[in-house]
Amino acid sequence: MSGTADAFAAPPGTQWQRVSPKLRAMRRALVTIVVIVCAGALAAGLSPTGPVGPIVVVVVGLLAVAWAWVVIDRNWRSWGYTERQDDLLVVHGALFRTLVVVPYGRMQLVDLEAGPIERLYGIVTVKLHTASASTDARIRGLLPEDAQHLRERLASRGEAHAAGL
Amino acid sequence: MVSTDSRTDETFHRLHPLTPLASGLRVGAPLLAFLAISAGERQAGDHSGLLTTTIIFVVVAVLVTIKGFISLAVTRYRLEAGELRVDSGLITRQSKRLRLDRLQSVDVRQPLAPRLLGLAELRIVTAGAARESVHLSYLAEPVARQLRAEMMGRAAGLGPGVAEAPEQPLTSVDPGILIWSTVLSLVSWRIAPVFFVAFGIIATALHHSSENLPGAIAGAVFVILVAIGQVLWARINNLWNFKIAQSPDGLRVRRGLLNTQTNTIPPGRIQALRIHQPLLWRLFGWATLQINIAGSGDRRQRFDHILLPVAPIEHARWLLSTALGGVNVEAVELTRPPSRAWVVAPLWWRYMAAGSDDRIFVTRHGLFSRSLEVVPNERTQSVHLHAGPIARWIRLASVHLDSTRGPVRIRARHRDNGEARKMLDTQADRARRARSVASPSRWMQSPSATSQGQ
Repeated sequence: MSGTADAFAAPPGTQWQRVSPKLRAMRRALVTIVVIVCAGALAAGLSPTGPVGPIVVVVVGLLAVAWAWVVIDRNWRSWGYTERQDDLLVVHGALFRTLVVVPYGRMQLVDLEAGPIERLYGIVTVKLHTASASTDARIRGLLPEDAQHLRERLASRGEAHAAGL
Repeated sequence: MVSTDSRTDETFHRLHPLTPLASGLRVGAPLLAFLAISAGERQAGDHSGLLTTTIIFVVVAVLVTIKGFISLAVTRYRLEAGELRVDSGLITRQSKRLRLDRLQSVDVRQPLAPRLLGLAELRIVTAGAARESVHLSYLAEPVARQLRAEMMGRAAGLGPGVAEAPEQPLTSVDPGILIWSTVLSLVSWRIAPVFFVAFGIIATALHHSSENLPGAIAGAVFVILVAIGQVLWARINNLWNFKIAQSPDGLRVRRGLLNTQTNTIPPGRIQALRIHQPLLWRLFGWATLQINIAGSGDRRQRFDHILLPVAPIEHARWLLSTALGGVNVEAVELTRPPSRAWVVAPLWWRYMAAGSDDRIFVTRHGLFSRSLEVVPNERTQSVHLHAGPIARWIRLASVHLDSTRGPVRIRARHRDNGEARKMLDTQADRARRARSVASPSRWMQSPSATSQGQ
């Protein structure tokens, strides 16, 4: 992963804070359920034509699940964030990598979001807003208490660094 | 939510009593034009379509007039210490307070009908944690101007009772060049869908029977003309008589043919700038200067992002420098991506360049149409680094500076990995330092006010 000049490495003296493995578990469960439902329906639909169709569907379905598990793992490993003195760094994406630097003085809002499935798994997404709509600074898969603390820290630092637009 | 204290009513101001008439006419005027045009077609005998359209217009005009009466009855505003308070709403009363130190822009707009009645609409945009905008429509034109001057004065830290700031004209746009440049700017990919539709019409006609061909060609030409006419009209109506002036309140932009307006952009509110040259403009050395301002982002207000519709490129460069308080863009050393970037940007990698100094970050790009983007370091919102699979394979990454919504996007694309990361870190650092010494939002009280007032 880490080449000679990894442009997405954590800044010197810091480490990426990783996100909860529950994010990986949630995504894997979702994909698996979707594939099982789809493959099941397809296999049932194909069953009158003989055994070949359903078997192919099941095999393809298994391969898809295996592949998805690997991809989801890579994506989960790609997430990281670190708080520096003046800004927050967030990195994510395995194939399309993005590293965002958000200065505390530029943050306008820090949102905590959790959809029904995320709540089921007990994880939260922290979303940072600046005056720019193109700021894509989200941290997915945080434990609720971590997210809460992070938000409080960010909010207090944002106030300390507050600048005009 | 806020208690509407009716005892202090005398200090509140209301909208102009002609508001309902102006609102109604504003919608009704197109009806009159439409009726005049279709008067000639009456003999043709097709009354039903005309009748339906007329009824729809009349109903809408009546509804808008009623809405005008309601807003006249329920809206009142007052300048309070550091805030503009606007109370409105018939059923749910709401009280908006706009913080003057967060003022982004104040526009005096005069659509045709209100203008004929001597009225104007005041649009105030503030930004900050809560981005808000308020339209006060309609006020008598002098009242609107006075209110703007007052708000600007207070926002600048001058206190109440300020007259309109004196201004020094910077430049204006020649109407002939405006029209020609608009026609020339149509030669771009954006016009492609129109031609696609036009050819589609002809192809369909050919497919069915060749007898329809003349009609189809006429139809296709009509589609193209309508599309061109719309673009041309929108630009001419909005950008006619374009004048820009500098005042202690900031840059003042006046423009419009039927609908006129005056926008004032306080100092330091420009988030990013871009000098753009569509392909054919390069033959004439023309360029346009566009800006990002916080708070005005949607498509309908795209003309608000134009600081100079068309002018010789030296002129645009000079205005860019002036708008930023005298930065020297030429002095910033720009570097190109490494040559292996041809893989992801075959020919145009040669025209990409980026660089920065203590005050600004500059990017340049474009093979056919050329662009130069500038963002002051203290206006950088967030910075991000991005690389897709192919870029990572050849060890390239792009640095994006996030700005507020608008036509200007600042991206130093396809840089070497190490260089990109260095650019990201440097920019984050420069932005932090620039922010800490940035002039306060009350620009007349700032130590740097003298240098900005030149």
